[in-house]
Amino acid sequence: MSWLGAAVDWQSRAVVMRHLRVYLRNWHTAFLPPALEPVTMLVAFGLGLGGYVATLRWQGHPIEYMTYVAPGLLAYATFMTAIFQSLFGAFIRMRYQRTWEGQLTTQIELTHVIWGEVLWAGLLATMYVVIVAAVLVGFRAAGLIAIQVAWLPVLLPVSFVAACAFGALGLCFTALLPTIDHMNLPVFLLVLPMGLLSSTYFPLEHPVLVTLNLANPLYHLAQAFRGLLLGGPVAAPLSGVAILSAALLAVLVPLDLRLLRRRVLGD
Amino acid sequence: MPALLEASSLVKQLGGRRVVDGVDLKCEAGQIVGLLGPNGAGKTTTLRMLYGFLRPDAGRILVDGVELGRDLSKAKRSIGVCTQDDTFDGDFTVEQNLAVAASYFRPRPSDLGRRIPELLERFDLGTYAAQKPETLSGGYRRRLMIARALVHRPRLLFLDEPTTGLDPQARMGVWDLVDGLRAEGLGIILTTHYMDEAERLSDALTVLARGRVVAHGTAKGVLGDLVGEHVIVLDAAAATGVAAWLRDRGRGEPAGVLGAWHVPVSGEELADFARAFPSLRYEVRVPTLDDLFLKLALEP
Repeated sequence: MSWLGAAVDWQSRAVVMRHLRVYLRNWHTAFLPPALEPVTMLVAFGLGLGGYVATLRWQGHPIEYMTYVAPGLLAYATFMTAIFQSLFGAFIRMRYQRTWEGQLTTQIELTHVIWGEVLWAGLLATMYVVIVAAVLVGFRAAGLIAIQVAWLPVLLPVSFVAACAFGALGLCFTALLPTIDHMNLPVFLLVLPMGLLSSTYFPLEHPVLVTLNLANPLYHLAQAFRGLLLGGPVAAPLSGVAILSAALLAVLVPLDLRLLRRRVLGD
Repeated sequence: MPALLEASSLVKQLGGRRVVDGVDLKCEAGQIVGLLGPNGAGKTTTLRMLYGFLRPDAGRILVDGVELGRDLSKAKRSIGVCTQDDTFDGDFTVEQNLAVAASYFRPRPSDLGRRIPELLERFDLGTYAAQKPETLSGGYRRRLMIARALVHRPRLLFLDEPTTGLDPQARMGVWDLVDGLRAEGLGIILTTHYMDEAERLSDALTVLARGRVVAHGTAKGVLGDLVGEHVIVLDAAAATGVAAWLRDRGRGEPAGVLGAWHVPVSGEELADFARAFPSLRYEVRVPTLDDLFLKLALEP
């Protein structure tokens, strides 16, 4: 069994289905936060901060700040959902609930557990993006933002692939950190800087940040979403998402497997 | 008929230390094999290799005729595992736990609609079917763990200290269930620290020490080989000359328990002892697996 082939094995799907079943059981609490978050963000950043910024220039055109933020929210939701799921959700299942150990006594192998977590991070983030997109459609209908809603379905596969890569990144920390208290390290040193310095909420023009962001998949994701929804360049940022996501998955999934084999199996 | 489990020359190194060193083990249908040994003997590592959790560095494991290293998934389809710690899924109810566990097997367990109620009834879990496992008592949690390990109708069952922490009544309840499973033809590998449990349930014992099999056979045979035919129990404070008598026979300090020495001896040694210490007060009893553990623990 190759590490890559395990992604499509029935065992990986069984792990994803288990997580989905738990999630759907708590749908009322699970669906509300992703629906409320964009509303809060659009009100706070769009109406609040947007009142001071009014319009800014993007791709040489003037654009309402609230419209600029909307695609960023979708990229931010993809990133945050996937990485928090694979950081906290996976850590709790591994360490406290011992769900993984129970699964490993069956026909599920560690590679499937890992792919199950990565694919679940991807699926959950995509579901959140659907919810955020539905809120944005409401804002568009109310005339508060000007996005091309017909392109929203195209975002979903892109979001899924990027979220899987973010999930693999989160799992790396899950494998390395000794306790849940240590999660502060990746959250404050990586997740928040990466989340905020990616042109999600405001354009970055500083040359150093622009250069750094070339290696940041979230930056490319935000740019790709913006290009699709606001009518800007799409090919380059989409290629960036595809290349960086594939690279992250190719490097991080085998690394996760190696680290977690030592941690979970003691091997 | 081939054995359900046949492991040969298993070796495993962990953290630079050889934890398991050439272990052989066999279990047939309708047989309970007790895997015993003091802490650090390599029991858990051996068990984890046998049920496919860990890969052996060397050696071969056949489960129901399938080599574990060649087709792990197929071999694991025949295996049920009840781990030492509770690893049920806390996000689901008792009944859902059985359904979720079944979803981790292919071919899918047939007739789940009947299998799950049957297991709930057999393990006396019906009343708690809609409850979360953490609300159950220790005994019922273990019942759930065993029921979960059986949901896909395995042929070989691993029970890793299944009664640890249970009160005597709950322990005996688990014994009855395990005995019933043996009668149905399951092969069972059992590890336990309770010597009475090992003696009562096991058809054969495999004793590990420092990663190696030091004895295999029936409880009586293993004790005779490793401990002796009799155990002399005497007050250590009054045992003048006994240490020297033991040294003359190449034996070290005997195991001391609450101020008493427990000295395993053969029939011939017992006669010698009686002649050497005619006025000493002592009692003679049959050896138990506790003596075996004390002996193994004292050995360098």
